[in-house]
Amino acid sequence: MADVTAETAATRQVSFASLRPSREAVVGTLAVLAFLVLWQVAPSMGWVNGRFTSRPTEVFFAAIDVFMKDDFLFHARISLTEFVAGFALAIVVSIPLGVLLGTSKIARYLIDPPLMALYIAPTLVLLPIMVIWLGIDMAPKIAVVFLGAVFPIVLNTMAGMSEADPRFLRMARSFGATKLDIFMRVLVPGSLPALLTGIRLAVGRAVLGVIVGELFVSQAGIGYQINLYGSAMRIDRLLVYVLIVSAFGYTLTILVRSVENKIRDWRSK
Amino acid sequence: MAQIEIRDLGIDYRKPKSNEVFSAVDKVELSIEKGEFVTIVGSSGCGKSTLLMAVAGLVNLSRGSIKIDGKEVTGPGPDRAVVFQEASLLPWRSVRGNVKFGLEMQRWSGGDLNERAMQMIRLVGLGRFSDYHPHQLSGGMRQRVNIARALAVDPEVLLMDEPFGALDAQTREIMGTELLRIWERHKKTALFVTHDIDEAIFLADKIVVMGRNPGHIKEVIKVDLPRPRDEAILDSDDFHNLRKRLRAHLAEDMSSMQLVKEVA
Repeated sequence: MADVTAETAATRQVSFASLRPSREAVVGTLAVLAFLVLWQVAPSMGWVNGRFTSRPTEVFFAAIDVFMKDDFLFHARISLTEFVAGFALAIVVSIPLGVLLGTSKIARYLIDPPLMALYIAPTLVLLPIMVIWLGIDMAPKIAVVFLGAVFPIVLNTMAGMSEADPRFLRMARSFGATKLDIFMRVLVPGSLPALLTGIRLAVGRAVLGVIVGELFVSQAGIGYQINLYGSAMRIDRLLVYVLIVSAFGYTLTILVRSVENKIRDWRSK
Repeated sequence: MAQIEIRDLGIDYRKPKSNEVFSAVDKVELSIEKGEFVTIVGSSGCGKSTLLMAVAGLVNLSRGSIKIDGKEVTGPGPDRAVVFQEASLLPWRSVRGNVKFGLEMQRWSGGDLNERAMQMIRLVGLGRFSDYHPHQLSGGMRQRVNIARALAVDPEVLLMDEPFGALDAQTREIMGTELLRIWERHKKTALFVTHDIDEAIFLADKIVVMGRNPGHIKEVIKVDLPRPRDEAILDSDDFHNLRKRLRAHLAEDMSSMQLVKEVA
């Protein structure tokens, strides 16, 4: 059993290596720094018009302004409410639907093609209809978030369920597993990584739904603010809100991915 | 009466595209006594795995019958457990979780379940690795887990489908010796499919040689090598003679396959 000890040693080495900053991280940080410096000096050198590009320092002070007195929390709460409501609704609907589609061939034949079509079509085109149906309050944005998030979760859950390794199914049956056993102990844990991939993809689409929805029809929210500062040519404040949105989406995606990686660990080989 | 009685067994498959029927196994007659270690050997495509899966109750019979302790096989049952070739361990479960799987199907729970699983893990020599996941184990260790999972449910008959087929020659030899050590304790009836001649002889009380087109039994050879066995018997005269005999069988099969190819 000498191979065992060798393998444990190898794992230990890997964990040491990960403490040192990787070349990827160093290069990435340097690139960002270089970009910021260039952005800062470009208007003063006359390379670009500062009115249209702003500067990192201006954006920084605008950020302080935004957080201190711009009703930031008020707008953020509205956007966040739309996001959470739409996303929660999407999860509640999409997981059971994905499970049904993944375990029943007939259901799959029935609704797979229209589902695919809806997934590929940008759901934002439905926004005008949503406004007619639901008014201009939070409801149409919640609907757009829901529509954006629901399809990637359905499709990934479905794939995870229906593409279960037949060898696992045969093994389970050999031990006398019932249909419920197979579902609970093979299909559900086996499709968890796919489900999380679906959720991760849905985050991006949902964030897009909130902001773009608010850009078009709203009386408040982050998207509303972006629209406002855009028309007022306040590039610095506009960029602050853009950064907030991207930081939010990025953080959420990283969070889901880290759970995903943890669960996927055992699949690495 | 023998413990396993296979009578006039035939298994047909329908090819998915052409819809034509072909026979994987035909006219198989075989009796296996309680406590016997039987190996099934043959070149690929001779239906040896199909035969094993039929005994496991995982494929439908087209003709004939399989009886275990006088009871007709109609599906999987707690009297049998299968050790699969590879990649049948659930990757999200630890060694212990995997060994528990079969026990959970038989509604074991709590402390009994845990204790039984640990006992089996120690039996196959993996006591220190009970919390490891399959991807952290070598191929040989994974097959030890596979064996522990099957033994845990305390089956009357242990069915093994080329369990060491994916291992390198040296590990395979070690695993064979290990398997016999474990088997000697309870002497469960064992059915072991392999295409490795040495492995077939080393483990067996009885070797079933299968041929193809359709899969059928060519000969059943009794092995009278003394037990307990170790690698030393690989060099004995009896072993050499058996090896020669099996080689001749398989060579015959290969040459007939060659002929088919040339005609086609």
